[in-house]
Amino acid sequence: MTCRLYEEQLSSYLDGELPRARAMRLEAHLKTCPHCQVELEAMGGIATRLRAASNALQVSHDFDRRVLRAFGYYQVTGWTKPTKSYLRPLVYLALLLLGLLAGVWHYFTKPFEPPPIWQPQPAVPVVAPAAPSAPIPVAPDRESQRSER
Amino acid sequence: MEDAVRTADWSTDGRLATADDAALVAACAQRKPGAFQELLSRYRRPAITLAYQMLGDLEDAEDVAQEAFVRVFQAIPRFRGQAAFSTWLYRIVTNLCLGNRRRRRATVELEAVREPSAPDSPSQQVTEVLLTRQVLEAMPPELRAILLLRDQEGLSYTEIAEALRLPLGTVRSRLSKARMAFRQIWNELSGAGDEVS
Repeated sequence: MTCRLYEEQLSSYLDGELPRARAMRLEAHLKTCPHCQVELEAMGGIATRLRAASNALQVSHDFDRRVLRAFGYYQVTGWTKPTKSYLRPLVYLALLLLGLLAGVWHYFTKPFEPPPIWQPQPAVPVVAPAAPSAPIPVAPDRESQRSER
Repeated sequence: MEDAVRTADWSTDGRLATADDAALVAACAQRKPGAFQELLSRYRRPAITLAYQMLGDLEDAEDVAQEAFVRVFQAIPRFRGQAAFSTWLYRIVTNLCLGNRRRRRATVELEAVREPSAPDSPSQQVTEVLLTRQVLEAMPPELRAILLLRDQEGLSYTEIAEALRLPLGTVRSRLSKARMAFRQIWNELSGAGDEVS
């Protein structure tokens, strides 16, 4: 068997896919053939080179987000991104500040109305006790008129 | 497994990270929040890398990988689990790449290649990465696909046969051709007599 035929078996031998009998014949050949030894070693180095090339690759950081959006993940699962725990106090604080700002703004922008000046209220007139009333004049009757005459 | 999927609180506990692919696929079929993200986190990089090595362009590769994930996620309720999830995904990625008719640039995008952080001779490593890219570019797509599935993604011969829908004997012979082609082109591009070792 020539080296060329053995070379075709080197790949399968490298992966442990060569039947045992043929593997033994190839091993016997490898012991005496430096060329095939170099070929075998070189084939084994291909995987290392390919992995080195793939390790050098930088993947976009937003790839997952693009995939999930294209898939319609958020509609499919009904999943909503949970609010991060540290955001909640910040949200409350922002709302509080917003309320304060609104109050201040309202205070300084409403039309100026001077507070009413204090004025003493007029004293309530004291109702004097009713004076004894004068006797009601009574029309003199006829008898008294006669006597006066 | 179904019971485990049903009772697991996938979105809050750590079971997502430890669940196997089959359990995750079952969880996705039930639209469990978090299961899709876990599958993405596991196979994002292999899918993009495979597509990139096939196409030679990172933007195209991400588009192809995105399309593959969307197809997989949409078809998950009909997935019967006859093949592994990874095999299924790689088949879709490979088919999309082989069907990609867009004209691709022959040169390697330098900005897509990060300089390795190894302390010894980084420039040489970058050179080898670029050379590897050029060799892959020069290979026929069918040989490139089978070489990447085996030597980069580590699929078995049976899984490659399932992914590419080829007989096992064809996988064996085509992979041998692919490796010899890689060796030959590498030697041509790197200089005569310069061996891949």
